Amino acid sequence: MASKYLTLVKIHSFNRMKKWIDSVLGDKKRTAFPFITHPGIELIGEKVSNAVSDGHVQYKAVMAASETFDMRVCCTMMDLTVEAEAFGASINMPDDEIPTVTGRLLNGAEDVERLKVPGLEKGRLPACLLASSLLAENIRDKPVFSECIGPFSLAGRLYDMSEIMVSIYTEPETILLLLSKCTEFLIDYCRALKATGTAGVIMAEPAAGLLSNEDCLLYSSHFVKQVSDAVQDDDFTLILHNCGNGGQCTHAMIESGANALHFGNAIDICEALQECPPGLIVMGNLDPVTVFKQSDPGKVKQSALDLLNLTKSYPNFVISSGCDLPPHTPAENIHAFFEAVDEFNQSL
Amino acid sequence: MHTQLLDKLFESVEFGKINLASPYPPAMKGLPGADEITKEALEAGISPDEILNGALIAAMDKVGKKFSEKKIFVPQMLLSAKAMSVSMNHLKPYFADGTVKRKGVFIIGTVFGDLHDIGKNLVSMMVEGAGWEVIDLGVDVKTETFVAKVVEYPGALVGISALLTTTMVNIQPVIEAIKAVSPDTKIIVGGAPLTADFAASIGADGYGKDPGEGIIWLDAQF
Repeated sequence: MASKYLTLVKIHSFNRMKKWIDSVLGDKKRTAFPFITHPGIELIGEKVSNAVSDGHVQYKAVMAASETFDMRVCCTMMDLTVEAEAFGASINMPDDEIPTVTGRLLNGAEDVERLKVPGLEKGRLPACLLASSLLAENIRDKPVFSECIGPFSLAGRLYDMSEIMVSIYTEPETILLLLSKCTEFLIDYCRALKATGTAGVIMAEPAAGLLSNEDCLLYSSHFVKQVSDAVQDDDFTLILHNCGNGGQCTHAMIESGANALHFGNAIDICEALQECPPGLIVMGNLDPVTVFKQSDPGKVKQSALDLLNLTKSYPNFVISSGCDLPPHTPAENIHAFFEAVDEFNQSL
Repeated sequence: MHTQLLDKLFESVEFGKINLASPYPPAMKGLPGADEITKEALEAGISPDEILNGALIAAMDKVGKKFSEKKIFVPQMLLSAKAMSVSMNHLKPYFADGTVKRKGVFIIGTVFGDLHDIGKNLVSMMVEGAGWEVIDLGVDVKTETFVAKVVEYPGALVGISALLTTTMVNIQPVIEAIKAVSPDTKIIVGGAPLTADFAASIGADGYGKDPGEGIIWLDAQF
């Protein structure tokens, strides 16, 4: 354990993410990386709407979570509307829930052709960049990951999710053009996130999990790969999160080029681990609602231990929640999760 | 000829051929789709009931099975559901005048706080294709809206969906409010983050892992 901390203290140095990945693969002891941001917002007594709009508030929320729970890795908030808003989509922003896109910005080929790729000064992008920058500057003993949306999920928010699912078959050229513009934007955005000093970006692409493997390759992975080729290196890792994947598009996720894949509770994680190359980090996948939020500490601990034992023979596994922990997840449940990881690691 | 038309309609729905103009599926490009074939079938004297039961319901049943078996995915299901839906548009006047009887009423909506509708839209179209009258309340549906519709349509079944871990927790108060005014109303829930255990824990009467399972549950209540 001490050697792992020494490695982490040096992470803001050359090849830091390569070193982190190597330490995960080389250490029998498990790394844990649940996505914890809402509990941090609650710890500082703030509203979700403030946390997703104000970089300082988001920074304070993540810091609070990092200082309260035994977190060895941190991340910014999973808000899948920031990018769509920058393109011009309308957003509904309640006080205590994650915002959602409303309406449909694009209604066909002409709208897509006219669509301009926004600059990074639009909407709440500066707030997200600020949050990443403050966290990278002030959390020096553990990796901090930024977050962004994936290209297909972004395109779906601009074109309407139901419509894009049909349009990939009825007007594929229009959707491919839209995906190109979304990817151009995401490359710029991820480069800016990289420049803030964070260790990498978690790219959330849940909509692609509704596709077949072939369609996921064509309409998601092909574009995610352009982002990973543009920004990923030994200092900056792309984690591709797809909680919609039930197991049919794991191959497509692997083809994205991301150095780490994050799965939700819809998938059999052992099947995913069998399919993924041993050098690829695989993260997941305790149910954030029925386990983390609705169970008691004893059940959370047992669920975590069961998952750790199930995945014992896979050095590339990082235990995580299947998605962002929801609001009002009991703190004692989160503590129980980390206790389970410590107990498991000490038993090795 | 009647059998041929019904077979063509079945195929159009099974493979998502919406109309003549639709380029999908590639193998049926340039051929009439569900829209044109339904019109032709009615003009040929095939009864709306035969069209519904002999082609549409059977086709959507097959589509639902293929989805459950992971042979097709959401896009293909949506295309089939759209093909079925355009066909149903031709049959709606016959429902209104009582020529064709529906199985019952199904009220559906995405729970308050949630603006996602892809799953709900899919289920709505497929349930309608399975012979039910669907009252689609849309998204971000308040508890009182669900309750008001249940009061307006006594005997209706209810479906509630949520797509986010943050909004699925809103379903329980809706179930409780509905049961408070109508204890016998049966409620099915669904959505990507939901599980059967979660559905049971919040007092739902059924859980639809996918639209096909939802329809099986509905038909079992019929």
